Amino acid sequence: MGIIIIPSNLNISSGLITQTATDGFIWNRAQKIRTAVALFIVVALIALAYFISADESIGSKGAISLLIGSALGIVFERGRFCFFCIFRDSIEDKNSTPFLGILMAIAVGSAGYAIVFGQFLPDTSTDRLPPSAHIGPVSVALIVSGLVFGIGMTLSGACLSGHLYRIGQGSLRAIPALFGSLVGFGIGFKIWNSIYLGVIIESPTLWLPHFLGYGGAFLATLAVLGVLAFLLLKSGKNSTPLSESESHPISSGQLFRSFFITRWSPLITGAIVGVIGTFAYLRIEPLGVTRQLSTLSRTILDGRELLPEKIEGLDTLAGCIAVVSTVITNNGWLILGFVFASLAVALIGNRFAFQEITVRNGSTAFLGGVLLGLSSMIALGCTVGVLLTGTQSFAVSGWVFFLSVYLGTVVSIKFKLHKS
Amino acid sequence: MQRNKLKKFGILSVSLIAALLAGVLSPVAQAAPKNQARAVVQADWLEKNLTDPNVKIIEVSTEDGLYERGHIKNAIRFNWYTDFVDPVNRDIVSRVNFQKFVQKAGINSDSIVVLYGDKNNWFAAWGAWIFNIYGAKDVRILDGGRVKWEKDGRPLTTEVPAPKGGNFVSSAADNTLRAFLIRDVLPVAKKRSKVSLVDIRSADEFNGKIFAAAGFQELAIRAGHIPGAQNIPWGLNVNADGTFKTVPELKKLYADKGITGSNPIITYCRIGERAALTWFVLSEILGYDVKLYDGSWTEYGNTVGVPIVNNAGTIWGSS
Repeated sequence: MGIIIIPSNLNISSGLITQTATDGFIWNRAQKIRTAVALFIVVALIALAYFISADESIGSKGAISLLIGSALGIVFERGRFCFFCIFRDSIEDKNSTPFLGILMAIAVGSAGYAIVFGQFLPDTSTDRLPPSAHIGPVSVALIVSGLVFGIGMTLSGACLSGHLYRIGQGSLRAIPALFGSLVGFGIGFKIWNSIYLGVIIESPTLWLPHFLGYGGAFLATLAVLGVLAFLLLKSGKNSTPLSESESHPISSGQLFRSFFITRWSPLITGAIVGVIGTFAYLRIEPLGVTRQLSTLSRTILDGRELLPEKIEGLDTLAGCIAVVSTVITNNGWLILGFVFASLAVALIGNRFAFQEITVRNGSTAFLGGVLLGLSSMIALGCTVGVLLTGTQSFAVSGWVFFLSVYLGTVVSIKFKLHKS
Repeated sequence: MQRNKLKKFGILSVSLIAALLAGVLSPVAQAAPKNQARAVVQADWLEKNLTDPNVKIIEVSTEDGLYERGHIKNAIRFNWYTDFVDPVNRDIVSRVNFQKFVQKAGINSDSIVVLYGDKNNWFAAWGAWIFNIYGAKDVRILDGGRVKWEKDGRPLTTEVPAPKGGNFVSSAADNTLRAFLIRDVLPVAKKRSKVSLVDIRSADEFNGKIFAAAGFQELAIRAGHIPGAQNIPWGLNVNADGTFKTVPELKKLYADKGITGSNPIITYCRIGERAALTWFVLSEILGYDVKLYDGSWTEYGNTVGVPIVNNAGTIWGSS
């Protein structure tokens, strides 16, 4: 992915962008083709949503999932909401500005979840949990999974959502990584029973509103986020500014540039991610990107009778859990939208470029992918489903996974696994 | 002769007048279902009576989060596996707990209880059975359930009602609606009682080709059915859109298998829930004398020493 320098004197007039400088972005024939392809993708996604909403077996939930995934794909690509990159920036480059995006996403999302939870489960004093929320058991298995996930994303260059949106940017390493994750999920299914019966079944499922109510849980979350922001500002010696200063009067060209070319501010990106997460939970299910992947893996293995006869307890736990299914799940539509929408915006912004792939970096991507699949299977989700959605849902499991993934990343960056 | 005629005429006119009076004096909330059975309400009627304080709506859906993401206005959620059964012992919910849950839902002794749910009202029908067991006077099911309501484009809300406590008093469990293995089912299997048994599972389960339908756990160690049972899969009770078939259609469906209501009936399935729908059809729509055997095949098929019929001859444990 090359860095594109866009001159500020770019103008769009009469529907055409004229270029007065010679460097960077040029509204040339190639750009016109890229834009046309991107527009075609956008129209195709909308048309697909329209058609599947009329299909009785898929229905509006599939269509809404596709649109939610598309929105998320745009935001992740434009704001570079890549957990590994953000962690690496803060660890290696001492640039903690991008990290603020994650904190913002948790802050906004937890406000949204508090509002929706209040409607779904008004009484927090019972043992009940809000429906389908990603509130998982807190166990040693979760901590180990987080550490392994951190190693997996360092080795493969991104987490699972990162790989998915990078496909849209032409990342070839994403392919062995995602293939590896399918293998990892398969291994996870194989060893699940012993881990579940040995560790997870006895572990507590801790949900902050049970102790603090929604108001208390939200305030506690904000307090933790405040402390983290303070630590990040302290440690971020080389932090970049939040956004470039815009001294030019607003124009269509500038609008185009801020929307498609300049990276979105982490705070804005995070806030939108939080809002999308709230809408997803309200209408369909909590955000996550691993459910369809693990479903695919489980279905393939199940069809070949390679799975244990019974996978204990998995279907009773809340998370990005696989079912055996030969049809595309809502999560599958979400991922489809996610990948293609990120492709569309990457094309317009000229960030689509095939990344070089070698046997070596392909192998590390595959191996990292295996670790990502395995660990997110045991943790019942990845950085989106457990870290982000879990913390937004006031689940202690989300915070534990956050911490352990970060530690895993710190350690593996120290060992330079990302450069292997 | 003349006297008899007069008597008949008298009874007829009294009933006519009573019927007319009832028509005039009956409350607004009176269902006029296509099946001439009060126990089935149509969506149009329910939509008009959503805010009637005497109408209490209950959703019994199995899909997690379905109720929370939108339900019929003023509907209260009941969870079948905590509110309608004993969560520890294999039994129906206790009288004390049932009364507690029902009162909390704002239901009074004279309320019209309307149940609906996903999956063709399976668990709504189980709920209707429990309400009848504990003496509720007016229990109805929404025709077509949740799926039809949604397909018709009728409104849903996420607003959860907060009702004032109701005064419903649960009576002792009416065990004439419930079949027990020793008391009711075994005598039929051993041909000692003239009761019609209706097995509502799929033909493959009934014939012993499979132990449980695809996607369901094999909870019984034997395959097959109770001797003497007729196989009438539950799906035959409803149309493609999930609404109940008409009374003549239903009567014919069962009469073709020799079930005319002249003998008492027992319905069963795998774990007891799906058979509640057939119980509802036979008892509440057709007015037959029906018991639901909630132990169903998972109790019967696992019981030592009881006779079964296994047409396919499959043996558990053999590969």
